[in-house]
Amino acid sequence: MTCDQLAVVVDNDRVVDITPAAIGYGITLGIRRREAQKLCADLQVVLNDEELSVRRFSSVIEALESVTPRIEITTGGRCSFPTRGPSRYFGGDQALAQTVVERTVRVLSAMFETDEVPSHIYPKVGVADSRFVAALAATSETSSRIQVVVSGRSAAFLAPFPIDVLVAKESPLSEAHDLVDVFRRLGLRTLGDISSLPNQELLARFGSPGLLAKQLAQGIDSRASLLHSISNVVSEESEIDPPTDHVETAVFVAKAFADRICQQLAAEGLACVRILVEVETEHGEISSRLWRHERRFTPTDITDRVRWQLEGWWKSEMAPTGSLSLVRLVVNETIPDSGYQLGFWGEKTANDERAIRSFTRIQGLLGPDSVTVVQRGGGRRLANIEQKVPFVAVNFDPNRVVNLPESTDAPWPGRLPVPLPIAVLTQAKKLEVVDDDGRLVRVSGRGHMERNPAYFKSECLGAHLIIGWGGPWFLDERWWDSAKKIRQARFQFLLDNDTSHLCVIENGQWWLEASYE
Amino acid sequence: MSPPAILAQHRTLPVVDELAGLFTDGGIRQGSTIEVTGVAATSLASALTIAVSHFGGWVATVGLPTFGPSAASDLGIKLSRWAFVDHPGDQAGVVIHALTAGVDLILVGPDIKLRSDHGRKIVARMRERGASVITVGKAAPCNLRPDLRLRVTQAMWTGIELGHGRLTSRKVEIERLGRGADSNLRRELVWLPNKEGRLNAFNRKNKPVNLSQSPHRVSKRLFDIDEPVCRAS
Repeated sequence: MTCDQLAVVVDNDRVVDITPAAIGYGITLGIRRREAQKLCADLQVVLNDEELSVRRFSSVIEALESVTPRIEITTGGRCSFPTRGPSRYFGGDQALAQTVVERTVRVLSAMFETDEVPSHIYPKVGVADSRFVAALAATSETSSRIQVVVSGRSAAFLAPFPIDVLVAKESPLSEAHDLVDVFRRLGLRTLGDISSLPNQELLARFGSPGLLAKQLAQGIDSRASLLHSISNVVSEESEIDPPTDHVETAVFVAKAFADRICQQLAAEGLACVRILVEVETEHGEISSRLWRHERRFTPTDITDRVRWQLEGWWKSEMAPTGSLSLVRLVVNETIPDSGYQLGFWGEKTANDERAIRSFTRIQGLLGPDSVTVVQRGGGRRLANIEQKVPFVAVNFDPNRVVNLPESTDAPWPGRLPVPLPIAVLTQAKKLEVVDDDGRLVRVSGRGHMERNPAYFKSECLGAHLIIGWGGPWFLDERWWDSAKKIRQARFQFLLDNDTSHLCVIENGQWWLEASYE
Repeated sequence: MSPPAILAQHRTLPVVDELAGLFTDGGIRQGSTIEVTGVAATSLASALTIAVSHFGGWVATVGLPTFGPSAASDLGIKLSRWAFVDHPGDQAGVVIHALTAGVDLILVGPDIKLRSDHGRKIVARMRERGASVITVGKAAPCNLRPDLRLRVTQAMWTGIELGHGRLTSRKVEIERLGRGADSNLRRELVWLPNKEGRLNAFNRKNKPVNLSQSPHRVSKRLFDIDEPVCRAS
């Protein structure tokens, strides 16, 4: 993907990343996919693949580990680290940022095998008092790739920004679309407007998210002030015995830890926002990474991070030589868990949790592919339209489960007319269609039928009189590919037992494809 | 004074208006078993889940590998909370038992057979959890005693003739037989599906013209809902 292509990255039906060309159409972060497509019809929509992006990002992290060991990785090609120490070592914020850019560029040019790193992936660095401000400084539209916000000047720097940045991915308020919407309708356009409001009023009208918005607008790192000392350090570690070469085995161990950690934290009313994942091999090699989540880690999030880290490590230059022997998870930073309200219809409900639990049980019983959900594709044949995918393949988060790709209502010429048959055979069954004299009905290449269908004989349905039929409708797919080409004539048959069926004839052989049960 | 306990059998799962007439309480009683038989059994069973799927409830099918999601979605079903266990093999009893804990409606396919002890366990669990089962085909092989039997007594397609036209809509007559409070016989006429693929109540006033023109159907007396209803014994 290059920067002059029209494309957006979509996660959970919201736009999370935009190419520069698409910005020209007025597409902004956080809007729905539909709205984006409305603004620009030729838009290419890419589903967010965090795993892939994190894996590719890992080489950048490796390069930056030579600058500081305390790198916190968030998803989407972003990372952050505390600058006080490194900045003193490298001689100031500007010099530090310059070093970061240089080292990153070196990695990127090696990765893309070019001397000149394309401008749209050129690293951007922001240095500021808080993570939110630094992220804005790094991503804001300025000519320079390095922006240092002088300490204490955050509020002034933030004031001209539109309030939409509050729902940007790196913001702790990134899910508060409703709040920002209300702000906008109240005529509050910039962060400066919000920071000028009195605390009490904000708190009374909008609750804690309102206050958090103001703190963000003033450049106060809410998290720093909310930093909670954990009574006893929450960590889990276990040796893998016998050591394993399989990533999944280690991930499985981590899964159990993640569940326990989240339970333990929940009991104390806390949620984890930063976690240290360490993996050791029997040769003593260690991979250690800090992962940050903008809101809170769920057990699934944590196991994802472990998997990403291991896969990245495996593919890196410093790939481990021995088998994995130890997994350690240490909760590094927590925030008070303000809890979350279970949604009503259309959102995550207690129902979903229960359902997922029972599906997991069945998967344990019958195998991971046993429980499927629907995914619709495009096509002319039913087998192309109906696609069931294993429940595990769709992300386990119920919010995403319900977010199935919308049906492609593209006008497929030759697709079946509505109503569609409700019983679609996975494997077409042979049948015979004969005329009054018992001779097989055939269709010529030009669609000519010499005899009229009168009787229907099939092993599973028995012999029946045909009391209504429609067709033939031709289907000529992939005629350019001799191995995959399909040339069929479709018929609908209504039988004397009131059942109706969709049948095809291909090379003189009749097949039962589906029934309108 | 503590509020009176609400038993699972007094709560109902929603059903669309077109089919609500078949249920004494206006909805599927939680923990009940419904047997759906006849020509359009799969469509009718699916149609019963429309309202549940729209109100955030989960639906699962067991042993219905042929189920066509596109047609179901056209019927008005929201498939985001549907799950399929197509081939439970000999574990069907355990699978259904596990599902009763998590989903609201379970559609059981015609080829599923359950041992009698499994059937009893499942019924007990359904009552406790408030899940309901709809069997597509006879409930007897599943060892579940249906509380309600829905039978498609008549189904008639329109739009197709001998050699021309295509299947456009199907008029279906559904007959209800129940136990206890549901024991009086009820009938309902619906389009399942209509020409947009949806479920639609049958309105006698805007009866499509080609209905009466259908040549092979004239002889049968059909859909005369004014005739006195005979109690099936």
